[in-house]
Amino acid sequence: MLKVRLIPIMTFNGISLVKTKQFANTRTVGNPIQVARVYNSRNVDELVFIDIKATEQGRKINLPLVKKVIDECFMPVTIGGGINTFEDINDLLGIGADKVLIKSMALQDPDFIVKAVDYFGSQCISVAVDVILDNGEYWIYQKSDNKLLMETFIDKMHQCNVGEFVVNAVYNDGMMNGFDKELYQKVIRITSKPIVALGGAGTPKHFTELLKTNYKGALAAASIYHFTQYTPQDVKIALKKEQIPVRI
Amino acid sequence: MIAIIDYGMGNLASVQKAIRKLGKDVIITCDKKEIQEASLIVLPGVGSFEQGMKNLKDRGLIESLNQEVIQNKKPFLGICLGMQLIMEKGTEPIECKGLGWIKGTVEVINNSRFPVPHLGWNKTYKLGEENQEDNLSNNFYFIHSYHVLPEEQIECTYVDYEFKMIASIQKENIYATQFHPEKSQNAGLSLLKTYIESHA
Repeated sequence: MLKVRLIPIMTFNGISLVKTKQFANTRTVGNPIQVARVYNSRNVDELVFIDIKATEQGRKINLPLVKKVIDECFMPVTIGGGINTFEDINDLLGIGADKVLIKSMALQDPDFIVKAVDYFGSQCISVAVDVILDNGEYWIYQKSDNKLLMETFIDKMHQCNVGEFVVNAVYNDGMMNGFDKELYQKVIRITSKPIVALGGAGTPKHFTELLKTNYKGALAAASIYHFTQYTPQDVKIALKKEQIPVRI
Repeated sequence: MIAIIDYGMGNLASVQKAIRKLGKDVIITCDKKEIQEASLIVLPGVGSFEQGMKNLKDRGLIESLNQEVIQNKKPFLGICLGMQLIMEKGTEPIECKGLGWIKGTVEVINNSRFPVPHLGWNKTYKLGEENQEDNLSNNFYFIHSYHVLPEEQIECTYVDYEFKMIASIQKENIYATQFHPEKSQNAGLSLLKTYIESHA
């Protein structure tokens, strides 16, 4: 039986790993290579590493450092941050990334995504969907004050045949108050592609709550693993007790 | 020396890293002489069947693989697309000829209940061992939309994905996995170690 994937997220600011709250209030949480080593030794299902400042600061991702992170890992690794060209994707796949996570280019130039899927294969192109909640609707910021309905964006990316969506509830980022179950119900009605839910996990119960709905996709988290006693293994034990299939 | 075949189809660095982790000598190559001298040939790969065959052909590798694996019976490990290419016929995106070492085809996963691609960790088992405990040692990482359908009696392992889908095949000196041992943590490293140490 196929297992539910549990994915720790590592967010990097160009200097060290950080954890944000609602994409602000940055806290430093360690060295990426050491943290990757720990996650590998804990036998996690997959890992996602994002340089959250690369696009904003107009720089490329630090390839030698990312290579060291990937070299620690014997599970699938997704890398995101500042990906603007085929060369960027090629560089990341060349140092051993399995998937790349793209946000800005997906919003600015869907044609780039179509071509990337064609050239590199659907399975390695993931799209980041950073969702905000406004007036009871889910939106994505296209530019600083230009909003796009989440549904429109995901539908468009689905048509581009991307491999996976990482759907992050920005309003839940770092809040550790549970996943937004309604959000993921909505997402699975828009696309049949693999989904990674992110934003809000604070206790193992939050994971089981989401998986007791129709949502059967992957679950990612950061704060719970950085700031609480719970490891990915603890979450799996809790899921297994609820008869949810996990690799344990 | 283990030779990983370089034919421009995806993530070879990960396979090399995993084999190196086991302390084995390994090169990534498309050089015929190096392939000839290798003790074991690994054919990984991600991408479409048609492109994979085209790339092997363009690099003149089909003949040299046939020579080593079929005539000289050199141990061979195919991974993912590298498994699919050893079949007679592929269908991705259109019907085309494979290496033909094993009778049968590669078809798109036709599944009504579960999503395609088949993505994530799944338990592999041999026929008759379906009820074996589901644990860290028999779960491997899969990511694929096509699966192989052999038309000859060969040794297989399976995963459950609405139907019994083939996870690995073995025939004489040929072993191939649909899953990625290089991405399957200790289970994958241990499988690679066992195969390499008993064959190379």
